[in-house]
Amino acid sequence: MYNSLSEAPIRYQLAFAFASLAVLAARCGGSPSVGHPVTLVVAQSGDPGALNPAVTTSGSTHPITDQIFNGLVGLDQQLEPVPELAESWSIEDGGRTYRFKLRPGVRWHDGAPFTSADVKFTFEHALLKYHSRTRAALEGLIAGIDTPDDLTVVFRLTRPYAPLLQRLDVVEASIIPRHLYEGHDVLSGEPTRRPIGTGPFRFVSYAPADKLIIERNPEYFRKGLPYLERVVFRILPNAAMAVSALEAGDVDYVGGVAGPDLPRLRSLKEMAVVAGTGGSGGSLCQDVLIPNLTKAPFADVRVRRAWAHAIDRQLLVDRVYFGQGRPATGPISHLLAWAYTPDVRQYPHDPDEAGRLLTSAGYPERPDGGRLDLTFTHGPNHQRLGQALREQLKAVGIALSLESRDFNASVEQVFVKKTFDVGFASFCNGADPDIGVRRVYVSSNIGPYPFSNGAGYRNPRIDTLFDEATLHTDRNLRRARYADIQRILADDVPYFWLVDSEPLRAYRKTYTGFRLWTGAFLETVALTSSGKP
Amino acid sequence: MSGTGTIRQWFVRRALLAVLVVAGVTILTFVLIHVAPGDPIYMLAGDGGNPAYYAEMRARYGLDRSLLEQLGRYVSAVARLDLGYSFMFQAPVASVLRDHAPATLILGGAALIVGTVAGLLAGLLCVMTGSRVVDGAVRWTASVLYAAPVFWIGQILVITLAVRAGLFPAGGMTTAREATVGLAWVGDVLWHLALPAVTLSLPLAAVVARVTRAALLDVMREPFVIATSARGFTRLRLLLRHVAPNAMVPVVTLVGQHAGQIAAGAALTEALFGWPGVGYLALHASLHRDYPLVTAAFLGISASVVVFNMMTDAVCAWLDPRIPLT
Repeated sequence: MYNSLSEAPIRYQLAFAFASLAVLAARCGGSPSVGHPVTLVVAQSGDPGALNPAVTTSGSTHPITDQIFNGLVGLDQQLEPVPELAESWSIEDGGRTYRFKLRPGVRWHDGAPFTSADVKFTFEHALLKYHSRTRAALEGLIAGIDTPDDLTVVFRLTRPYAPLLQRLDVVEASIIPRHLYEGHDVLSGEPTRRPIGTGPFRFVSYAPADKLIIERNPEYFRKGLPYLERVVFRILPNAAMAVSALEAGDVDYVGGVAGPDLPRLRSLKEMAVVAGTGGSGGSLCQDVLIPNLTKAPFADVRVRRAWAHAIDRQLLVDRVYFGQGRPATGPISHLLAWAYTPDVRQYPHDPDEAGRLLTSAGYPERPDGGRLDLTFTHGPNHQRLGQALREQLKAVGIALSLESRDFNASVEQVFVKKTFDVGFASFCNGADPDIGVRRVYVSSNIGPYPFSNGAGYRNPRIDTLFDEATLHTDRNLRRARYADIQRILADDVPYFWLVDSEPLRAYRKTYTGFRLWTGAFLETVALTSSGKP
Repeated sequence: MSGTGTIRQWFVRRALLAVLVVAGVTILTFVLIHVAPGDPIYMLAGDGGNPAYYAEMRARYGLDRSLLEQLGRYVSAVARLDLGYSFMFQAPVASVLRDHAPATLILGGAALIVGTVAGLLAGLLCVMTGSRVVDGAVRWTASVLYAAPVFWIGQILVITLAVRAGLFPAGGMTTAREATVGLAWVGDVLWHLALPAVTLSLPLAAVVARVTRAALLDVMREPFVIATSARGFTRLRLLLRHVAPNAMVPVVTLVGQHAGQIAAGAALTEALFGWPGVGYLALHASLHRDYPLVTAAFLGISASVVVFNMMTDAVCAWLDPRIPLT
């Protein structure tokens, strides 16, 4: 039973001594919480806007909608596909045809039955038009979507494509109801205001800049789930405020914790601080530095190797990331275990080697000890990283100036205008290397748009290998291609991989069951047996 | 003395001027936010897209047109009272502003009242007691509070009174965990209002205290006060009946100007306390390069400054008929 008000009246009374006596009477007289069900309060960093998950990749929309909608598949902790709206599937024709058997008896929150027509509609009118990642990957790949009957969907592809299933979870491909969206603008029409899904929670209300409430869907197709009666997403744009609210007991779950707050949170016995590797904002992310390869000095691989040797990544993980992650060794996060290989050229911290490489590249030490002057363009959250890099690079004669921009402006300068020496990005691998790794390295993705191949790296062998890696549904064949890719890229160092990040989530220990690898992270959350929120 | 004719002339003249000022601010904001680095498409359209997709989205929101053409379309739409469409919220700007305005009015109004009353009392206290210790303490405190950044004061209040002592919530406008209605809702909002309202009111209280004190002391030196004093009035009665009314003009001017700036000045406080008002909105809209929303928010803020300035002038003229309405 919910009983957090048992000790509250004293607090309230004190508070109301400042506020108003009349209000005190109202508050203590009509307590609204008697018999109140289990409610979880989640800190949410921004307003979600329109609530249609099939037309956006927004990290403000998906953490909410991923609880309301479903994908054809779910992802287990190893990011392998498991049945969700699709009960089973078969891959035919050498990977050119995917046939999905849909789960019978699933109903939308308004009671209408879920059918194959919803899947076809969602892909043709929303995902393939407006979901940036899904469209970029599947446009030109999907030859057609057939619906032989209400519970069968067939994707016909123009060529074999192995990673399709990993692209069909709720983050990459939420399924929306055709009967509500047909005839409406999918970006901003009426159905985006009161989302109707098939998921574990139903939408209740949304007060912009304040809170959004969802409640348990008693008709959910996984019987007995979810356990929570209500979830309140409290919009707290300021990260420090979110942590304060967690400590004060106003909030139960915070999805991101700033490093300096960590020691304090860890010292609180009622707080769990746990690494989460995925979720709605992106899975298995790597923080990388982006050198501008289109001009000196980074056009020369010796300078890039020198830089890689000059950086002490373990020190960055300890001091800048407060232990949230592991030094990265290449373009694939070690957390994407099946595809990752550590068997690549390594760049241990070695300032002497860095100096030798710089000298051989034509940047000998000047009388004042300097060799190179470069600028690091970064967003507002990376001052500390910039300062640490400046210290480390000074030791090898690289003078680094820091150019701090707001997020939007830094993205534009690095990816669009390309007026930079070194930039920064957090690239998320996603559930398959084809989702988040490929786009960073292939030459076809060089262009003036955000989170593309910003370094301007061109290598025909890499382009071919990435294509080949998607043609085989056999994991071993794919793994071999990705191992080659990692070896070549580690030799070329087109980017400086700093850390495979493992961002920390903090929540009250009275709750358990958070699925911190997927967008649908609340489905199995429950009170612990001793749980008294 | 102003006749009704001249008041009408004054009003018309000031209203026209106000429209010009607001139009100028709006156009300036529009141009500044458009030429500032950054592009709304990154926030709007998501990542990992292909060039065709970004081009389509740009065209959809008219971002592919020239700045002059965008400005022309915007001005003509505003003239038809259409504030446009918010990128962030995928909703009409007018409805977004309407959603956020009450929170700012509640916070701003509370801060204005608390700040004015506290400042007046503190200023009166200095002059009334005539004690150099009290006077020094008030002046010193006022200086510190006026100089201290709002976000610093707010953070200290949150850490001490909310997180440590648990007396107040750490943020937001209502309790998230449970829904309240009626009087309980009012109580809940007041409980959440206390810290942000105090935070926002402190700089105002500080400057009102100093101006009140100085104005009272000025009037105290006037010959009519010495004459009244000689007639045997107590210091308190003298202050309240004769000195205070004559000292109010600078205070009213100050409070009036401050009122107009509340919407702008509340942004930091709102962001700090997660208070869902227009200031918070303007801040986030600018980080997202939500051009229509930023421009409309500044339009609203400049309009409120202009209106409050007009009201201030009118009140001052009423308080002291020697002040001409110009």
